[in-house]
Amino acid sequence: MPEVLSSEVVIIGGGVIGAAAAYYLCKEGAEVMIVEEDDLAAGASGACDGFISLQTKQPGVHLELARESSALFPSLAEELDDDIEYSPCGGIMLATTAEQLKELKARAKKMKAAGLEVETLSPSDLKSRLPEVGKDVKGASYCAQDAQVNPIALTLGLAHKAQEMGATILRGTKVENIVVTNNRVREVHTSSGSIHSRRVVCAAGTGSNRIGKMIIVDIPVMPQRGQILVTEPREKMLDVILCGAEYLGTKGNIAELLPQDEEAAKLGLGFTAEQTASGNFLLGSTREFAGADAATTPEAINAIAKNAMYYLPWIKELDVIRSFAGLRPCSPDGLPILGTVKGVKGFFIATGHSGDGICLAPITGKLISELVLDGETSLDIEPLSLYRFK
Amino acid sequence: MRVSGRKEGGETRVDPWSQAWERAAAGAVAVVDCGERIPCNPCEEACTRGAIEVGEDICAPPRFDPGLCDGCGRCVAMCPGMAVFLLDRSVGNGRARVTVPYEMGEEMRAGREVWAMDGEGKPLGKARVVGAKKRGGRAGTTLVTVEVDEGWALKVRGVRDRLITLEAPLEAEAEPLKEYPLCRCEEVSGPRVGEVAAEFASLRSLRRFSRVGLGYCQGRFCQDMLRERLARAREMEEGEVGTFRVRPPVRPVKLGKLGGEDA
Ligand SMILES: Cc1cc2nc3c(=O)[nH]c(=O)nc-3n(C[C@H](O)[C@H](O)[C@H](O)COP(=O)(O)OP(=O)(O)OC[C@H]3O[C@@H](n4cnc5c(N)ncnc54)[C@H](O)[C@@H]3O)c2cc1C
Ligand code: SF4
Ligand code: SF4
Repeated sequence: MPEVLSSEVVIIGGGVIGAAAAYYLCKEGAEVMIVEEDDLAAGASGACDGFISLQTKQPGVHLELARESSALFPSLAEELDDDIEYSPCGGIMLATTAEQLKELKARAKKMKAAGLEVETLSPSDLKSRLPEVGKDVKGASYCAQDAQVNPIALTLGLAHKAQEMGATILRGTKVENIVVTNNRVREVHTSSGSIHSRRVVCAAGTGSNRIGKMIIVDIPVMPQRGQILVTEPREKMLDVILCGAEYLGTKGNIAELLPQDEEAAKLGLGFTAEQTASGNFLLGSTREFAGADAATTPEAINAIAKNAMYYLPWIKELDVIRSFAGLRPCSPDGLPILGTVKGVKGFFIATGHSGDGICLAPITGKLISELVLDGETSLDIEPLSLYRFK
Repeated sequence: MRVSGRKEGGETRVDPWSQAWERAAAGAVAVVDCGERIPCNPCEEACTRGAIEVGEDICAPPRFDPGLCDGCGRCVAMCPGMAVFLLDRSVGNGRARVTVPYEMGEEMRAGREVWAMDGEGKPLGKARVVGAKKRGGRAGTTLVTVEVDEGWALKVRGVRDRLITLEAPLEAEAEPLKEYPLCRCEEVSGPRVGEVAAEFASLRSLRRFSRVGLGYCQGRFCQDMLRERLARAREMEEGEVGTFRVRPPVRPVKLGKLGGEDA
């Protein structure tokens, strides 16, 4: 006989978004159950970078969310028992052509107008902030508010704290169906039994599409693969999060900043580099639509290595010890999908964070908690509604 | 030069040094430079692969089989006489990596320049540290890997911080410890693995949250042991806890090589 459980709120997915929602809901005293098919951070949240990057967001709701979210990190670092390796290190974006530099300067102005301090740096300014850069680097933009975190530790830290406040985490448990009667969510059927609940949060990442089908709603998330190389650990050499302008180009689909090289364009190649607290460099990354295949490929590995050497020539001396790939839960416009569903009371969507889920996790968790418990949010999430795509 | 495996009483076996030298072309391997007739066998205990054998007569010098050694380095940390080191010639270009135990209190980190010392405690010259891992073994032992000219590779027996005067090498204590890290690359100890295993039931999760198997060796050396530990802790079959997903590159490789530069 399968067990019958119940919970005030059921969260589908134990990635960073599900864990953040659980944490903020528990803080408000809610009874929460996370249902996770595999294990905590088994999806994108365990196979990604740890950029909390503000300067790569689009002015408007995207930037606003990111700013609110980044402001929550310092207190999270205090409140969580796990060390999330949060570092307010600042971020640099490099331009390798005059056109890119022009675009970065224009963006810096726009960001300033939107209230975010972004400086432009000349190659000589870079000398004091970075180890040697490639000879094509023409300049950069710098945002002091950019920061870094360990995404796995963040997910685990949020989940642990939620658990301490009473949340239940069901691992290895897959959501198979959701029962809706009289326009309201009643029950969640899982591989290990049924859970009675009147509130369900879908934070299933790339699995959200499948979850939507259970209540006959199209949640348009597509897996977008990103591949990353990991080097041997070294002493601290890089103390900012670093990317190339093409990273922003492929991420935000900004024509002026897209890679010119055909192969690179096909892979959606954009340079990222960070050095983790354990000393390893993470070098990225790609943006490919390759279905649910989270394998790494030789073409991408070679292209990432070559690209990394182009920006940071000295990096060629480091040993690469591993590669990995993650699947970003990508929405059609790259912005998260947050909000309710028409005709299904008690169902909440928190997914589609694309390449920003780590950065946006705290604010997402907070807003979802407000939405689930109070029905309204401190920040207008109308522009993030599912219905913007119709 | 003392040669390992030469038994008192004239009985000599195949020179394991040349075997180890050949074997080192494919990656790290232990070189056991121990000819002392002393009552000591921690190296035998340290080696989980049966590559080192001292046998019934605890005073016999260890016999070493390079064919069984996978270069995990446990014996290096455990040997109280600092008589074991790792040799890795796979880097090529006439360079070799030598891993030796380091006992001093201060931190030894990758990138640091040190003195490479010979067996008599004389500096051979400067070397760059390419890896430093805290190891169990004797308390406070760090395994330090330096890259040196192949010509020195068999002479290096230790390193000294360049800032410290080169006198008085510390005497090591002959006290074997029970718990050495299960994962040497990330210094994750047995108890820590146990702690994490109490919460997570798959090898991949264990790795994600404890960092075991995420270091330089990428689980090549520790995976079997970890699987066994985890299965035991969870009372599961070894097959049920899964395996690490093997991701390229299968062995560490210079980034420049991946990026298409000729090595
Ligand atoms: C290479 C790469 C680099 C990135 N870099 C950054 C970065 O630097 N900064 C940043 O902010 N973001 C980054 N991201 C994006 C970020 O990783 C994601 O946006 C974020 O992890 C999404 O979190 P999530 O919780 O929505 O999804 P996931 O972490 O994928 O979690 C979803 C979970 O739901 C579970 N699930 C799915 N279906 C079911 C079901 N039916 N029943 C039960 N459970 C289910 C899955 O098992 C999974 O664990 C990167 C992504 C990639 C791939
Ligand atoms: S290095 Fe490892 S495998 Fe080789 S002898 Fe020592 S313990 Fe055994
Ligand atoms: S522990 Fe060291 S000194 Fe003792 S027998 Fe083994 S190699 Fe020789």
